[in-house]
Amino acid sequence: MNPDERHYRKLKPVPPQRFRTISEIGEALNALGQGFVTTFRHLFRKPITEEYPEYKRTLPERSRARIVLTRDPDGNERCVACYLCSAACPVSCISMQSAEDDNGRRYARWFRINFGRCIYCGLCEEACPTSAIQLTPQFEHVKREILSMVYEKEDLLVDHSGKDKTYNFYRWAGIRTGDRDKGEHEREDKPVNVRSNMP
Amino acid sequence: MPTLTIDNRRIEVPEGTKVIEAAEALGIMIPRFCYHRALGSVGACRVCAVKIVDGTRKGVQMSCMLDVEEGMVVSTDDPEAVAMRRHVIEWLMLHHPHDCPVCDEGGHCLLQDMTVSGGHGLRRYLGNKRTHLDQYLGPRIQHEMNRCIQCYRCVRYYREFSGYRDLGVTGIGNRVYFGREREGTLENPFSGNLIDICPTGVFTDKPARYFGRRWDLQRGPSVCIHCSLGCSVTVGARYREVARVEARYAKAVNGHFICDRGRWGFPYTNEASRPRAARVDGEATTVGEACAAARNRLLHVAETAGSEAVACLGSERAGLETLKAVAGICRANGWADPLFWLERRARENVAAAVSLLGDDLVLSLRELEAADCVLVFGADPLGEAPMAALALRQARRQGAPVFVFDPRPVELPLDFHHVPLAIEDLPECIRSLVGAAGDRETARGADPTVRSFTDQLAEPSVPPPPEAVAALRTSRRPAVVCGTDVTDAAAIGLAADFAALMKAQGRRAGLFYLMPGANGFGAALAGTEAASLEELLPRIEGGEIRALVAVEADPLGLYPDRGRIEAAMRKLDLLVVLDYLDTDSAAAADVFLPSTTVFETGGTWINQEGRIQIVRGAHRGGIPVSQTGGGGHPPRVFMEEVPGGQAAASGQTLTRLSPAEVKGASEWVRLPPDTDKQSGTRAVLPDPSALRFAPERTALSGAAGDEAMLTVIAVDRTFGTEVLSSRSPWLSAEETAPTVWMHPEEAGRVPLSDGDLLEIDAGGGSLVLPVKIVENMARRTLVIPRHRDAAWQRLGATRLRIERDCIRKAQPVGENAPVKESPPR
Ligand code: SF4
Ligand code: SF4
Ligand code: SF4
Ligand code: SF4
Ligand code: FES
Repeated sequence: MNPDERHYRKLKPVPPQRFRTISEIGEALNALGQGFVTTFRHLFRKPITEEYPEYKRTLPERSRARIVLTRDPDGNERCVACYLCSAACPVSCISMQSAEDDNGRRYARWFRINFGRCIYCGLCEEACPTSAIQLTPQFEHVKREILSMVYEKEDLLVDHSGKDKTYNFYRWAGIRTGDRDKGEHEREDKPVNVRSNMP
Repeated sequence: MPTLTIDNRRIEVPEGTKVIEAAEALGIMIPRFCYHRALGSVGACRVCAVKIVDGTRKGVQMSCMLDVEEGMVVSTDDPEAVAMRRHVIEWLMLHHPHDCPVCDEGGHCLLQDMTVSGGHGLRRYLGNKRTHLDQYLGPRIQHEMNRCIQCYRCVRYYREFSGYRDLGVTGIGNRVYFGREREGTLENPFSGNLIDICPTGVFTDKPARYFGRRWDLQRGPSVCIHCSLGCSVTVGARYREVARVEARYAKAVNGHFICDRGRWGFPYTNEASRPRAARVDGEATTVGEACAAARNRLLHVAETAGSEAVACLGSERAGLETLKAVAGICRANGWADPLFWLERRARENVAAAVSLLGDDLVLSLRELEAADCVLVFGADPLGEAPMAALALRQARRQGAPVFVFDPRPVELPLDFHHVPLAIEDLPECIRSLVGAAGDRETARGADPTVRSFTDQLAEPSVPPPPEAVAALRTSRRPAVVCGTDVTDAAAIGLAADFAALMKAQGRRAGLFYLMPGANGFGAALAGTEAASLEELLPRIEGGEIRALVAVEADPLGLYPDRGRIEAAMRKLDLLVVLDYLDTDSAAAADVFLPSTTVFETGGTWINQEGRIQIVRGAHRGGIPVSQTGGGGHPPRVFMEEVPGGQAAASGQTLTRLSPAEVKGASEWVRLPPDTDKQSGTRAVLPDPSALRFAPERTALSGAAGDEAMLTVIAVDRTFGTEVLSSRSPWLSAEETAPTVWMHPEEAGRVPLSDGDLLEIDAGGGSLVLPVKIVENMARRTLVIPRHRDAAWQRLGATRLRIERDCIRKAQPVGENAPVKESPPR
């Protein structure tokens, strides 16, 4: 018999029961009494629940709640507006517009997360190639006004690196920006001299 | 036809097919980088490895280099082949930069696809990467050489396929570099195809740089409406803004490629100045009210001055639905005959071409490539229909000699014979070729009409070019290409006669006309009774016509006699304009109604070979979010109405404002059920044989050779003259600046040197333009590109004859500067 079948049998209608003996009535009363005793005993015990919001427990760093956009260790915006998070998001609550700044860096001209729709699944963080978008343990951001759940870039951008303290995409990317020219990134040779035939 | 087995499936393919193509026919896509259907195989990338289990050459082989053999057995998923492909991809990725997140190719990158599908997920090589410096390649193409995988597609396309030399390859080994000798804008008017053809992000679309990923775009198939060829394109829009136009494969039309005019000509649809709201007497209002106002005023005009006092003008850039609505509204209300053309010559030329083009002769662009001898009469392919130039190049690459008989300084990316003759001499030239090209005896035997035509052919006053005659004698598949922009009905008719005659001689001759506008053919079909504005102008000037409805047409800006049309427009009681451009006519309109572009509502366009192509809009339209948001984030409150979303297709608006009911608005365009969705379908053309070999075309016109006269032609150029694409900021640097071209002999008679100013007194006033002296053009001719700043609208016509003393050298003074006049009212 497979488990599904067993389950199905259990759900079959049970024929109505009648109390046949006095002892059965006694059993029922006993069970009822025991239940009340357990409940009653707890009235005099110290509670094991934590009183929220009076007591606020520190959540693990990887808990998934309010999303932030972090900065790289040099203090620059990490997000390169690559649209990967918005593509990964199962509820399509991220939107943005990428652009190029004066330094040649691709960045988000605007970036919007609709937290009214977010399900805090963390897929955006997983998709992000620059460690820019990160979920934080900060879960208290329920608002009465639905529109105030729509966060713009200025609401999302923080001034730290979040969980990833080291990664700096533009140090590796190979594209030319204000601070790094071709050949100046990590593990890069100097640009090829195309006018030379020397090996 | 060999039969082979690929992955246990048998297929029969023609001799000479490559294994990679045979697999594709079975639906098996073998990975490829360097192989491309349009470019063929070179075996440079080694990623198409398959295992040949049985055949003359067994083992792992490159499927793009290997011809099929009878009984060959191929395995694409043999572990050895799979391992080979995986290693090749890993090698190609060794130096690939770590920049997909900031690369615009990401999301539609062949290298990404192959890397993922090839199973190369983790980098093992941790050494240094080789890097390259990039080049500035102009305002349209971004260069990022680090990403190159040395597939050689770009240079093969650029140099071999399209015939330009300024992009090449240098370096050896690991350091191979694809770029220009020096930084600078790419000279190739088909350079945009590099973006599509490069399998990685080395060449990306600069105007669309960082706009968005392909998966976010609202993409849809469309046709290009920047010339009469109607190439297939894919439109990508997002946030109410058209961001990119890419080539879409169309077997019979453009193949894999499009020209840069078609790729970057679209900004007119996003312009901040695009009129989005209806206006009545200059006051913004709703479309409903403007329609009501237009209807009432039109009724008033019709009541006071008679229904014949209202005229309606369409244009060759409008879709067939719009043109049919123009014809329909005129018929329903008893207005004057619908107008589709500004000039009579244009109307007559296109009507002649359409009536003479028969199913027996018509060539598609693809078929033109297969010709073995091409004669081009009165056409500048690169200027009038750029992709035709690329088709001629393919014909030339296969050995076809190309002869161009045209007064303009024609340039083509191929070696061709240019016979620069005065445009009036063109019919005579065709006549001489008709007489000399073939053996008259066969033609005589063919048909009595043909016989009498050849018999009556006047003895040519100019002998035909001997090379052309020699080439024609041996040609089996000659093609006749004829323009309709600068030519006249005689030349157009003779071109058809010529092709028909060669057909009668038993060859596979073909005929290919170029036409003005994207829908010139449609305009000619939409109303056979249709007149032109030029023919109607006297009635406006005489006060007979009191109201004009201009639908996607700009009489004020484009009529070749600015002074006259301004005066005529001032005489009107009512000017109603429906358009999506802020034209001079729109500015002068009493009632203006915004309409939609092909990107929003689509439509039906008929290209110059009569191919009907129906497209749908790619997005809904409205003012782009980048404009409503001022560059920042979009507004935080949402309304039901789309900003600027009031515009509707002109055809719909017309039926709405028409006083009388226009019937069957949705039933106008019906296609046969077997329509090819990809390339459209060719209209069934009426039998033109009765119109061919008309005896009046055998006689000489004798207008040419008059030394006292000069011919002025206002012409189309690749960039800067076509109405829509000339608004593109990314093409403006490549425009042909306002100028007048002259032959050195003519310049010497004035006298003038290069760069001097020439004053021309023409029918519509005088204009002053800098002179450009070129050798490769006709004498007794002035060629003026119809650049918006060239004031060519003062010429009086787009082709005219003037006395020699109408031109003189002008002094460079401020007020004579070639500027456009401001709109009236
Ligand atoms: S956590 Fe999930 S739902 Fe929320 S933004 Fe990220 S991907 Fe979207
Ligand atoms: S995935 Fe990361 S870098 Fe890319 S747009 Fe999202 S937050 Fe920015
Ligand atoms: S630039 Fe692009 S098309 Fe040219 S060789 Fe490199 S990868 Fe191939
Ligand atoms: S040739 Fe004409 S139709 Fe084709 S892409 Fe260029 S402008 Fe458009
Ligand atoms: S596709 Fe065959 S070697 Fe490149």
